[in-house]
Amino acid sequence: MSVPGSSFSRRLAAIAITVGALVLAGCGGDSTDTSTSKPSKITIAAVQGNEDAALKAIAPLYQQQKGIQIEIVEFPYDQLFEKLVTTFQANAASYDLVMMDDPWMPKFGTGGWLTPLDSTFGFQRDPDIPSIVYDVGTWPPPHGAVPPAAKGQEAHLLGITIVGNVEMFMYRKDLSDAPGSWDDVLANAKKFNKGNMAGYVVRGKATNPVVADFLPILWSFGGDVFDDNWNPVIDSAESLRAVEFLVKDLKSVAEQGAENVDAADRSRLMAIGQAYQSTVWPGEITEIVENESVSKVGGKVGYTPIPSGPSGKGFGMMGNWLLGIPKASKNGQAAADFIKWLTSPEVQRQYVAKGGIPSRLSLLNDPALNEQNPYFAALAKSLEAGPNWRPRTDQWNAVETILGTNLNAALAGQVTAQEAVQKSAAQIKDTMSQAGYYG
Amino acid sequence: MADPIAHPVGPARPAPAPARAGRREASERRLSLLLLWPVLGVIFAVAAYPFALAVRQSLSAQTGEFVGLDNYARALQNPLLYDALEATGVYALLVLPTEIGLGLGLALLVHRMIRSTAVKAVIFVLAVVPLVVPPVAVGVIARLFYAPGYGVINQVLMRVGVIDHEIGFLSNPVLAMLSVASVDVWQWTAFVYLVLFAGLQTVPRETTEAARVDGAGGWALFRHIEFHYLRPLFVLILFFRMADVLRVFDHVFILTGGGPGSSTLLLSLYLYRIEFKFFDDGQAAALAVTVLVVVSVLYSLVIRVLPVEKG
Repeated sequence: MSVPGSSFSRRLAAIAITVGALVLAGCGGDSTDTSTSKPSKITIAAVQGNEDAALKAIAPLYQQQKGIQIEIVEFPYDQLFEKLVTTFQANAASYDLVMMDDPWMPKFGTGGWLTPLDSTFGFQRDPDIPSIVYDVGTWPPPHGAVPPAAKGQEAHLLGITIVGNVEMFMYRKDLSDAPGSWDDVLANAKKFNKGNMAGYVVRGKATNPVVADFLPILWSFGGDVFDDNWNPVIDSAESLRAVEFLVKDLKSVAEQGAENVDAADRSRLMAIGQAYQSTVWPGEITEIVENESVSKVGGKVGYTPIPSGPSGKGFGMMGNWLLGIPKASKNGQAAADFIKWLTSPEVQRQYVAKGGIPSRLSLLNDPALNEQNPYFAALAKSLEAGPNWRPRTDQWNAVETILGTNLNAALAGQVTAQEAVQKSAAQIKDTMSQAGYYG
Repeated sequence: MADPIAHPVGPARPAPAPARAGRREASERRLSLLLLWPVLGVIFAVAAYPFALAVRQSLSAQTGEFVGLDNYARALQNPLLYDALEATGVYALLVLPTEIGLGLGLALLVHRMIRSTAVKAVIFVLAVVPLVVPPVAVGVIARLFYAPGYGVINQVLMRVGVIDHEIGFLSNPVLAMLSVASVDVWQWTAFVYLVLFAGLQTVPRETTEAARVDGAGGWALFRHIEFHYLRPLFVLILFFRMADVLRVFDHVFILTGGGPGSSTLLLSLYLYRIEFKFFDDGQAAALAVTVLVVVSVLYSLVIRVLPVEKG
């Protein structure tokens, strides 16, 4: 049977109109503004891993108590940062709360993407929590060098810590005493670096991992990445000595393939008894090193603040994870209520029971909790000693990438320590210059 | 009513009035154009508009201010770009010939030696498996093989006494490149095999049988008959695989993150670093536009130079 052309055309047109109408209807969505009413759900963008495990575990309790569902959308570390930046740039209301690593604060603060928690929702500092914890969530930073674009701005609290990470040191306490200095670390490493045991685990993978491993050493040796005017000093004599200590001294007593080792590899080596000592993040301790189901060394590992170096001091490094409220969120008040609930003393005790890492000194110094969490005392000491933070610049990701690539090349023997610091200084200078840091 | 399309001309039918036919033709043309708009709109939305935005971004500073070709100059002056190009070139030289050689060998082997349809079907399924595994999963699995400390290869070699110290598959610059390339070869040789095996099915049986009767050996058969049928497919494979080499990201990111140093920092990882680590939108856009233009020119040259059709 044939179809007359005009009838066929009309049918096609009708189909096109119907499809168009359906598409338009689908695009319309729900335009209800929930800003003035209690939402049924708040959405959190979180990092996937041990950092958000306790958050996921305690979220159902909030729904039970408050009737608001907590939806947690997880991303791997790198992807979370990219996702947040692009979401903020688009001013999208995808998330009511975002989990942020503390070095991201300068980028987010400079972008003006987060709602001030103090002036908008009345957040105040709690004396039970060390001031450095609030400082990492404040922009511009209350002390230290401030990027040119942020100078003169009023400081606001933009994030509240929910994972009180500070980089510490771990060693096999069943084999020796705690090292007091990096000289002790090297001496012990030489002593125990035999057979299947590595004297020291270098977390040497390119970019973020190797930089996180290196910065406490750098500061303890009296070096730094920048001076107070954002000029790179990574090529200073102190900094060079710190790099040589990492890529020559420590590497000579480190595990095979250190250039590709990340945190999970490090804690696994420790857990199976093939490593004597290393730096460590609290999350690695609860998840692997002291986890009886996967570790052979539970109870045999001691935890201390970062040992001191030639500068006479040891510097831990802040690695807090914070919760912040994007300006685009339509549920700001509900999000703020959730943060207050989560960080309250009562809920924090339950949060710790689920593997959470607190910042409250009353919990970190609690004897009963120290029995269950052998690193709490070291974490409290690290916090009270005033750990350093990564330089508060919105260019930190670029700087870390440059430094981490060159350090990794030096570890692999592709360049010398001297070449690594010189290349790093030149490339960092160029990056900072292009970002307008020198006027 | 009679169908004017089925019977366009015929002495038995009176011709339609010219004015009526003209109106219908115009109406159908209008409808055709109307229906074409959504397609054109989609093409504009997914290709032309983003490209135009990329070009605009490549000519702008972070503040949106017009900066001419500054971003292009900065991109080309960055020494890391040349490290990335070198790494990408080495990677391509490692994976493309290996995959084509292995894929061709396997295709010829199965085509000539396997007679059972069931066995061929099993091989087909096995060949499809690597292609459908997500690249991220491939990277994670490969890391279990190559990782320092617990990598399966090192553990097996040490257990059987071949080595007493771990081999730094991912920490030695040369071995790291070979390791990431091996993962590509594992995943994509199957694609080459499938394409070439399909091509071999188009070679007329009587031609090959005649050649065999005339005394042609395996190599002569391939060189003088089968190769001519496969030639367009080699070009197709080169096209797809070259594009893939420029896009490869996941398993390299998981295995080495571009290291040690920048020895496996392929072009895609370098672009990612400029955009998502440095957040240098202008330089990233300039690089993307440059890569697009260079690749387009290269591809058009390949089309002109390579004899796609026999003769």
